[in-house]
Amino acid sequence: MTQVNEFPVSQNADKVLDHFTLFRQPEYQALFKRKKDEFEFGHSDEKVAEVSEWTKSEEYKAKNFAREAVVINPTKACQPIGAMFAAQGFEGTLPFVHGSQGCVAYYRTHLTRHFKEPNSAVSSSMTEDAAVFGGLNNMIDGLANAYSLYKPKMIAVLTTCMAEVIGDDLQGFIANAKKKDSVPEEFPVPFAHTPAFVGSHIVGYDNMMKGILTNFWGKSEDLETPKTEKINIIGGFDGYAVGNNRELKRIFGLMGIDATILSDVSDVFDTPGDGEYRMYDGGTTLEETKEALHAKATISLQEYNTPQTLQFCKEKGQEVAKFNYPMGVAATDELLLKLAEITGKAIPASLKLERGRLVDAIADSHTHLHGKRFAVYGDPDFCLGMTRFLLELGAEPVHILSTSGSKKWEKQVQKVLDGSPFGKDGAAYGGKDLWHLRSLLFTDRVDYIIGNSYGKYLERDTKIPLIRLTYPIFDRHHHHRYPVWGYQGALNVLVRILDRIFEDMDANTSVVGVTDISFDLVR
Amino acid sequence: MLADKIQEVFNEPGCGINQAKTTKERKKGCSKPLKPGAAAGGCAYDGAMIALQPIADVAHLVHGPIACLGNSWDNRGTRSSGSQLYRTGFTTDLSELDIVHGGEKKLYKAIKEIVQQHNPPAVFVYQTCVPAMIGDDIEAVCKYAANKLGVPVIPVNAPGFVGSKNLGNKLAGETLLDHVIGTREPEVSTPNDVCIIGEYNLAGELWLAKPLMDEIGIRIQSCISGDGRYNEIAAAHRARVTMVVCSQALINVGRKMEERWGIPYFEGSFYGVTDMSDTLRTMATMLVQRGADPAMIDRAEAVIAREEAAVSKRLERYKPRFTGKRVLLFTGGVKSWSMVTALEEAGLTIVGSSTKKSTKEDKEKLKKRKGEEFHMWDDLKPKEMYRMLRDSEADIMLSGGRSQFISLKAKVPWLDVNQERHHAYAGYDGIVNLCEEIDKTLSNPIWRQVRLPAPWE
Repeated sequence: MTQVNEFPVSQNADKVLDHFTLFRQPEYQALFKRKKDEFEFGHSDEKVAEVSEWTKSEEYKAKNFAREAVVINPTKACQPIGAMFAAQGFEGTLPFVHGSQGCVAYYRTHLTRHFKEPNSAVSSSMTEDAAVFGGLNNMIDGLANAYSLYKPKMIAVLTTCMAEVIGDDLQGFIANAKKKDSVPEEFPVPFAHTPAFVGSHIVGYDNMMKGILTNFWGKSEDLETPKTEKINIIGGFDGYAVGNNRELKRIFGLMGIDATILSDVSDVFDTPGDGEYRMYDGGTTLEETKEALHAKATISLQEYNTPQTLQFCKEKGQEVAKFNYPMGVAATDELLLKLAEITGKAIPASLKLERGRLVDAIADSHTHLHGKRFAVYGDPDFCLGMTRFLLELGAEPVHILSTSGSKKWEKQVQKVLDGSPFGKDGAAYGGKDLWHLRSLLFTDRVDYIIGNSYGKYLERDTKIPLIRLTYPIFDRHHHHRYPVWGYQGALNVLVRILDRIFEDMDANTSVVGVTDISFDLVR
Repeated sequence: MLADKIQEVFNEPGCGINQAKTTKERKKGCSKPLKPGAAAGGCAYDGAMIALQPIADVAHLVHGPIACLGNSWDNRGTRSSGSQLYRTGFTTDLSELDIVHGGEKKLYKAIKEIVQQHNPPAVFVYQTCVPAMIGDDIEAVCKYAANKLGVPVIPVNAPGFVGSKNLGNKLAGETLLDHVIGTREPEVSTPNDVCIIGEYNLAGELWLAKPLMDEIGIRIQSCISGDGRYNEIAAAHRARVTMVVCSQALINVGRKMEERWGIPYFEGSFYGVTDMSDTLRTMATMLVQRGADPAMIDRAEAVIAREEAAVSKRLERYKPRFTGKRVLLFTGGVKSWSMVTALEEAGLTIVGSSTKKSTKEDKEKLKKRKGEEFHMWDDLKPKEMYRMLRDSEADIMLSGGRSQFISLKAKVPWLDVNQERHHAYAGYDGIVNLCEEIDKTLSNPIWRQVRLPAPWE
């Protein structure tokens, strides 16, 4: 055979190269170069570099912030994924997404990439004819199929944009489907309208939570509902739910509190590898969910995930309390005090010890955190919780950004910043995206970025180290198994931040004969 | 032989404390007798190792079981501007059979392998308890190896059991005097050459002083041992003046260099504004007395005036933040007097200071400035330290890492000013660094949290 390539082919069956190295081989490099020179006709490298530099300037930032239409790299997902996540935390519950099936595939992969677990959801698979004539038939057939194929204990219906645009009425459709015996009359089919063109995943979470509770608790206001000593906890859309919910349960155990976590996904997203496939695992039982109506109080750990749900709980005569992703010493203190106040249970000595150990750990390491400047982005509650914790450490939150953040949220962040001298350089950016953050990072540098995996592109561009502390984390494994709430959780967060700081320190001192003067063993 | 050596360093005439003793006391030695059952600091081996390990291009080989190297490998943040060989942990890792059959052959092989693989200008061999007890003669092995391999192989005979860390420092100094200093001639020699003794370049501190010395025209011919090089130290006897920094540790080296080669020495410090200025001034004056260009003194004065003014200006910003803040100072090897002056200039109130390693003169100066009320301790027990801190008699403690947790557990901010510190506090810039670190430590919000009880209490 004659060799067509100028370069010999680097790969053969005896030596198979993976993508890290294969495309760096001369034959590929030559191919890319030829493609670029002969077909792409792009601007010169100098011009590209020049424009790239310009995008880092104040001038560009002004233009960037004047953007009106386009959103670039938003830090939010759509309502349905939030609704689906909420539904998955109930016993034997199959989320049923009324709309196009492609969307559902997205939600499932998105969650799987983060949790490294399978997760189940079905779709009514609407196609063009359904979009024209309405999706009722898809609902009727879909519910019947889902019920008989996957044997759920509850089907939670939510919608994609497609169903919302044509205005399908879930309540009517579900009633019709039941009439047609798709599912038994008494079978629970809660629902929530979750158009992606309104709000974001945190609104979807709220809608579905309210939908499920409405299903079990009834719609009408009833302030006279009899109460027990139990309380309800709602964690909200939380990438650390596996670790966090288990930590909450441990704390409840220590305090002797009888609490129901409404939507407990900790087992759903962490099933054991013991040879048995669990399509559903754990979750809040339907019985508990029904009983939760009689709880004396409902506590939300993410205010912006639950405004409607909490209002609904209030209408049932429950006391409500809300937190903003409680991380750190003071935030955990407040949570425990609230729990103690509502339940009348004392905070045990063991938790006081945990608190003391956390404070001790922070004191041991504070010099490395002190005055370090941070950018934080993510969901509104996460940003608030993280900002508070950073201030507690003596670190300086500078850019706090959330695409789902509102004006009210901005004010709330500002208030937190104003409460500490370390917050003086900080500002909140609600409704902004990661491309805005890029400009902020170039024009007003920070030492570290706290965010999720999407921040890795910012890290590459700006050379500012990224600390992954919020959903989604696709490119690091198993962080979600460790709590970030409670004193133990705060310790985990502290260690993650410190690890990054020290890794960064090592990386900056590792060139032999150049920077290794400070490549120290003891830090 | 080792016993003689120990007696000799105990008799150090250059040491003021030693001279104040009676013959009987002197015989007992200068290190405190170790009290069985009580917590103690490092051993003689550790002292020798920390004194010499900063010599960067040398291979430091520990002859002993894994304990001695394993626990001390690269444990101090001393900096090198070139070779990083000093950070590599070489040991003979003696095992049971070696102890039965003797470790000398293994030691020789180890030296040989080091020379073949790393080709260092010298190998330092550290004796430890176990081979010393079984009678391994490291001096003989080193001599044999040096002849055979054509590289200086220096025996550092300070096994742990002979005494304290401080004694180890001194024995390390003796080793340099016996085997290293005076064995080479320098390639260049100028009338402006100094040798600095007892400066370890922790966190790169020497480099805060060096640019100023360069500007004045003072050349650091060698430094024992921070950022040191074997050949420079071997030629240290051609320095015109020596400065002894950590006098407690290596005063014997300074004095003997004067005795042997007629090089005058002075005790100086890079810590604190006044001491830094005195050091530069003394260094320049002494060099001029020995033939350097007299203009050096004017250059020194100019640098001193400029730097003092700059520091004083830079410390201004701390004054309002430091007002009313009380400091407990346990500086260890760092001279207290000079630190006290510098920190007070920045607005801090020093409520007490350790004077364990201070000279009599220093103590007098302190007493004069601070009055009789001022606390001075030669040896403050941890329990008492804890009580003072707990009863909030101070807002911050500056000390070495050993008392760190006394402070932290008493809920009082603490700052490391000793050997494991990560910031350089020497020179004029160093004082500003120190104030910056004090400011950060004092203002960190965690301290409020530390002092508050759990909110449900």
